[in-house]
Amino acid sequence: MTFYRFPAGLLAAALVAGPVQADKLDDIISSGTLRCAVVLDFPPMGSRDANNEPVGFDVDYCNDLAAALGVEAEIVETPFPDRIPALVSGRADIGVASTSDTLERAKTVGFSIPYFAFTNVVLTREDAGISDFDALEGRTVGSVAGTYEAIALEADVDEWGDGSFRPYQSQADVFLALSQGQIDATIVTSTVASSIIESGKFEGLTIAGEAPYDVDYVGLITLRNEYGLLNYLDLFVNQQVRTGRYAELYEKWVNDTAPDLVIEKVYR
Amino acid sequence: MFNYTFQWRQAFRALPEMLDGALVTLQIAVLSMLIGMTFAVILAVARNSASRWLRAPATAWVEVARNTPALFQIYMAHFGLGSFGIYLSPFAALLAGIAFNNAGYLSETFRGALRAIPDTQIRAGRSLGMGQAQAFRLIVMPQMLRISFLPTMNQTVWAILMTSLGVTVGMNTDLAGVTQDLNARSFRTFEFFALAAVIYYVIAKAVMLASRLAAWRMFRY
Repeated sequence: MTFYRFPAGLLAAALVAGPVQADKLDDIISSGTLRCAVVLDFPPMGSRDANNEPVGFDVDYCNDLAAALGVEAEIVETPFPDRIPALVSGRADIGVASTSDTLERAKTVGFSIPYFAFTNVVLTREDAGISDFDALEGRTVGSVAGTYEAIALEADVDEWGDGSFRPYQSQADVFLALSQGQIDATIVTSTVASSIIESGKFEGLTIAGEAPYDVDYVGLITLRNEYGLLNYLDLFVNQQVRTGRYAELYEKWVNDTAPDLVIEKVYR
Repeated sequence: MFNYTFQWRQAFRALPEMLDGALVTLQIAVLSMLIGMTFAVILAVARNSASRWLRAPATAWVEVARNTPALFQIYMAHFGLGSFGIYLSPFAALLAGIAFNNAGYLSETFRGALRAIPDTQIRAGRSLGMGQAQAFRLIVMPQMLRISFLPTMNQTVWAILMTSLGVTVGMNTDLAGVTQDLNARSFRTFEFFALAAVIYYVIAKAVMLASRLAAWRMFRY
């Protein structure tokens, strides 16, 4: 009996060991589904249409990636602060969620090369008397907790030592607070600002110039140790630009000419 | 399954910041209990009163406070009042929301305690020449607070834990707010949240132990 059991055990070990060595990229391909964490209250990157279906730049981007991988795309709605838990707990495979590639965050998650670039503007109410970024000193301002612009704005408010900063949990709450007069201004990406003004959901909102922050490059994210997948994502972003799909999607959702994703005088 | 390497050093470096947040959390909890208890006594008396005009609003308060989520009450204090042009800061909105909730729950606790005190005690006090209010304040209320002491401390623990809902109205100085902020900057979600959970646990446990000790010393017959 022992004679037979030994090779059977080996065979079982080999079968079990096989999948263990497969990486995330293998898992996605073999499961047939790519699960993307997308923020759906951040138009035009992600939102819901009249039929409550997810739409937006990030949604299209996820669909393109799934098509390239030959699998089905599944959109996992994820608020900004929950992007990392979604990845780590395995609810999503990657994040297509406008994630700014800061060095601090790169200690925790893996970033692809930038797939989008934001500029930030001051969004305020017409009656708030704010004409540019410098006028924010001493005022009550707010932004979405955990975003690039929120972190930059909070640092500025701390430095001014005057006025206050409020982080809200969603973009919708920020607009609500702004329109009610709870806060006087917010810093948001120019795409979101024009999208919300165009929608006419909140009256009296206006853009008061650009915020003096660096261009906010955002990458696709996945677990830091998934080099196979990260490598694929880099190439995918590159291909999206090369084939003109990036410009096409930008035109479709932002209605403008796509900004370059190249940083001059340095590699990557 | 859980593909993540914990980095505790980074979390521990932020510990002083989180402990400052814990102080704000305690401050809100204590203030909300003081305000809540004051209103709870008024509500309990109003609900026992013969007048319908006193009973109805008190009942409405208690019904809403006990049967809607605290999250909703805090959100309403900030965004609900905001739509009427009444602006409460995140701190004030959180305090108001929790105090409102505390008052609702405590008034029922107090009402139960009042039931346990025989009516004859008020009459006895009156026969000694005390006024109605005086008899209530000097004879009934101390007993009521004594009977409801442990449930009240229970509510205090509940109030401490409820402060974490402040993040929904832009609160960033309490323990949950500070934690969320640290999380956003570094994406070290699990370390910071675990640390925050331990701090909440220790605070809640300390309050419970202190109240047991106090009850044991104060209520020996």
